[in-house]
Amino acid sequence: MKSVGRILPPASGFAAVQLLVILVVVAALFVFPYLVVNPYVLHLMILLFLSVAMGESWNVIGGYCGQYSVGHAAYFGVGAYAALMLLQYQHVAPWWGVWVAIAAALVISLLIGTICFRLRGPYFVLASIAVAEIIRLVVLNWKQFTNGAEGILLVDIPPLKVGATVLTDWLSKTPFYYLGLILALATLLVNYLVQHSKLGYFLQAIREDQDAAHSLGINLSFYKNVALAISALFTAVSGVYYGLYIGFIDPASVLGVDLSVQMVLICIIGGIGTNFGPVVGALVLVPLSEALRANLLSKVLFSLGVVKETSRVGGFLKENLAHAHVLIYGILVVVVILFMPDGVLGFGRKLIAQRSRPFSAKPTSLVGGLDGSA
Amino acid sequence: MALLEISHVFKFFGGLAANSDIVCSVESGMIMGLIGPNGSGKTTLFNCITGYYPPSRGDIVFKGQRLNGLKPDRVCKLGMARTWQKVRPLAKLTVLENVMVGALARTSSLKVARQAATHQLELMRMEKKANVLAGSLSIGERKKLEVARVLATQPELVLLDEVMGGLNPVESEEIIELILDIKKRGLTQMVIEHDMKAIMRISDRVVVLNSGEKLAEGTPQEIVRNPDVITAYLGSARVA
Repeated sequence: MKSVGRILPPASGFAAVQLLVILVVVAALFVFPYLVVNPYVLHLMILLFLSVAMGESWNVIGGYCGQYSVGHAAYFGVGAYAALMLLQYQHVAPWWGVWVAIAAALVISLLIGTICFRLRGPYFVLASIAVAEIIRLVVLNWKQFTNGAEGILLVDIPPLKVGATVLTDWLSKTPFYYLGLILALATLLVNYLVQHSKLGYFLQAIREDQDAAHSLGINLSFYKNVALAISALFTAVSGVYYGLYIGFIDPASVLGVDLSVQMVLICIIGGIGTNFGPVVGALVLVPLSEALRANLLSKVLFSLGVVKETSRVGGFLKENLAHAHVLIYGILVVVVILFMPDGVLGFGRKLIAQRSRPFSAKPTSLVGGLDGSA
Repeated sequence: MALLEISHVFKFFGGLAANSDIVCSVESGMIMGLIGPNGSGKTTLFNCITGYYPPSRGDIVFKGQRLNGLKPDRVCKLGMARTWQKVRPLAKLTVLENVMVGALARTSSLKVARQAATHQLELMRMEKKANVLAGSLSIGERKKLEVARVLATQPELVLLDEVMGGLNPVESEEIIELILDIKKRGLTQMVIEHDMKAIMRISDRVVVLNSGEKLAEGTPQEIVRNPDVITAYLGSARVA
């Protein structure tokens, strides 16, 4: 039986509270860098914003439209390469380069969409991976143009000026923090606008049943391409942002399949096709991957005395657990899909709904399960 | 000129002729019943009319416009809408949202679509289910939702593919009344149905298909007396 995760729209009083909470959180995020100056914390926040932006971007095509693209690294990488190559080789400022990045991503999305949207379901997934891999291999091997596997190491970013006053010289993390925050909020807003528009209804209809959607007057390839274009646009901007912040891009880091998979995971774990799902997904995955990188898990095991650091097992863990992030990601995905098919967000909502009316009949009635075979 | 003209339509799947030389015309305001044994090509004909399959040969003309090769979304915009034999609810959307998707074929305003959808649900006495997820409806409710969604696209011609299949007698009666009500509103309908009593009651004309070919056409009274039809359904009389 398909899970029924959506809860009916909340009462307007509840919506007002929700809006208030969102405003307070956003305000807190804007003053955050004044309160916390620790660069590592700011770095984590920047990674979080980047993940939110990537997840929300993917959510438009994968979540609302149900087209599980596992090739979104293509738009991310093309965006990053377009802006950074223009900056490095032509000295075009990134706030101009980003438009070229967007244009490049849109052209590629239209090409990919026209080809891949002829396919449905798993065949579309495979095609999207294949096209992204083609792009990665082209960038990798076209050495004269892209510098191949050596990638691009950014020398510096020109200061952002308004008139004669220098707004920022990009030397601290603070400007990147605000840029990331704005990008994350923008993608959230785009998701909200999509969801509350004709486009959103059509995309969800396509997700639920393409043939039914087609018969209701929805031009499938047009709306799929529109969704992909919106998604690609913001993925490309995220790529530009990543490139500028890290200062180094190569085909493996911005065009790899693992990056595409990560965008999907952010949404699946948080709650696919929901406004705040990718935010929740990023809140789970970013700290997790940082913890794995810093090998926190084995440190915790050692400090709890579960495993001795000096023992053979301890040595093995110390050396290998940090590299096991793919394994742990995999386990996490399996757990989420098995026990929380609507993601962490959907699971939480369901819990709250059950708490608030513990004795009423559950909405997921038997009927929904029986007629699937009708 | 008839609302829908089907002239010499063939549909081949490989060597199999699922539809073979079908000729019929549907006049404005009538209910055309379409019957035939399983596998006789009724749903294939619907798929050809609504643009899911291009006919292999022949012409389908709706309101004077040739439909061959038009995609289903274009056909819907021209004023033709169909339901599905196997219901296709948009499971994770609410009933109201399902109907709104239909209404959005004619408007870009969510507000207008919501009003139209609410009105449609009230007409069909489904307003109590408006905020329920379509995936949690019973089969009878799902069939009604299909019809509501189709009507929200403001069609002139409605194609109903076995909307009574799998329903209990009370639900079937409700659908029959609904079909007659749609007729009163001036819409034209083509109805595929296996329930002979129902089809004889509602149809103005009946077309019988058998192994892809048109076996007979006439008023319900003519059809029940037609020896070819009786043979197709019951087999020929044993020669003593």
